[in-house]
Amino acid sequence: MQPITLKGRRIVEGQCKAEALVSKKPISFLGGVDPADGKIIEKGHELRGECVKDKVLCFPHGHGSTVGSYVLYSLAKKNLAPKAIINQTADPVVVVGAIIANIPMIDQIDIKQIETGDLVEVNACKGIVKILKRRES
Amino acid sequence: MHLTKEEERIYDGEFGWANQICMKILVRLGELFNATKLIPISSAHVSGVSYKTLGDAPIDFLEAIANAGVKTSVKATLNPHGIDKEYLCKKLSSDICKKQWQILEYFNKMGFKNSLTCTPYYLEKLERGAHLAWAESSAVVYANSVIGAWTNREGGPSALAAAIIGKTPDYGVHKAENRQPKVLVNVETSLRNETEFGALGIFLGKILEDKIPVIQGLQGASQDHLKQLGASLASTGMVNMFYRNNRKVKVNELEKISVAKEDIRRAMEELTTTATQKPDLIFIGCPHCSLREIRQIADCIGTRKVKAETELWICTSRFIKEKAWKYTEKIEQSGAHIITDTCAVVAWTDKLRIKTIMTNSAKTAHYAPTLSKAETTLMPLKDCLETAFKG
Repeated sequence: MQPITLKGRRIVEGQCKAEALVSKKPISFLGGVDPADGKIIEKGHELRGECVKDKVLCFPHGHGSTVGSYVLYSLAKKNLAPKAIINQTADPVVVVGAIIANIPMIDQIDIKQIETGDLVEVNACKGIVKILKRRES
Repeated sequence: MHLTKEEERIYDGEFGWANQICMKILVRLGELFNATKLIPISSAHVSGVSYKTLGDAPIDFLEAIANAGVKTSVKATLNPHGIDKEYLCKKLSSDICKKQWQILEYFNKMGFKNSLTCTPYYLEKLERGAHLAWAESSAVVYANSVIGAWTNREGGPSALAAAIIGKTPDYGVHKAENRQPKVLVNVETSLRNETEFGALGIFLGKILEDKIPVIQGLQGASQDHLKQLGASLASTGMVNMFYRNNRKVKVNELEKISVAKEDIRRAMEELTTTATQKPDLIFIGCPHCSLREIRQIADCIGTRKVKAETELWICTSRFIKEKAWKYTEKIEQSGAHIITDTCAVVAWTDKLRIKTIMTNSAKTAHYAPTLSKAETTLMPLKDCLETAFKG
């Protein structure tokens, strides 16, 4: 397929190529993601049970306690962090978390264009997300 | 964002990893909110100190940053943590206490003072118009509205970064144009006690969104009343300040809201989830008591004794407790506990088997069902104390 290029805003620089994990709902890192294994544990969340490790994690925005920023640091220290974070609208909790955990991050991306399982390339320095390959159905 | 030469050097890592991370947090947050520069602050106040609310996740980061040798560059204070040395420490597992002391040690290593209070504004006189970087939403509203200092509602990590760098990005209510009122609130009933002021805050927080109100009808409100109003306003809403009447504003340009007696009654009712007359805990001191409140409690208690098996906590800062020793001794003789450094919201009340809490604080009544898994009764101070003496 022809790669689809989405342009957003650089929040934390860095590059990677990995599989996307897409959530339509916001994510609260405090209480919503288990810092011990990187799995989403929020009750009723569509991605409950999925692991964020090494994924390009796409979600509209964060919510909940600012302590959530520290959860991202803790995940990174245990090699359980996502490879990149793509948001519709960046919020302070996720921005601070991505900075301290050094996770490439872009916002102002229409995440509805991306589907779980797509292979995506992130160039956060340029604020670009490229969908290289659609999920094999 | 425009950075000075020195700020740029910190940003580029010339002063080490920890300073760089702190500068990055401030700059990126600034960019997010369209700030064009950083401004110096006179103090920072950090929330997220209690191991109960933090959990294990932040310990790694606090350890790394403390061990990197960075130091606070302005007066930097801490919110309450999860234990109190004299009383609760003895009732909780040593594992919990050890983790809590560890967190505190990292903050101390960075130069934070062990203020351990949600009322840093009692510790020293603040200048009107001073720029601050405070977390703890109740203190933010008090600083902006009662004292006239200027602070956004920081998160724990951004307040920490501001404490280290000594600056904050210039956005939000640091700019005069963002401090303009948008709503005129007319309180049509006279509020009789601190609890009703708290209920007003809970009610308004839900409907104001981020619109700053001018609240008419607060004549006779004491600073302690306004403290309750602000604390609960921040619990349910996003707004970081309010004005009282007598302000020169073009009233006809503002959206108008009226608050009736019935609205206050209903808000009070919703904050009471149990009808028990024998709560496991009677809790006064959210936000932490002022000197005047401690005196008021001592006067109200007189020579009466708290009934056996009734737990009465009066929470305040270590600073105020020392200043109020004449009254606190008298209060403790009644069988009540003066507890410093913590409160019923950030302490492990559930591990102490506290399932019902009676309080005069609308903020506590709002948070206790979720944060402490407790049922609540919201009552004014006098009724809370009466219950403690009746048993």
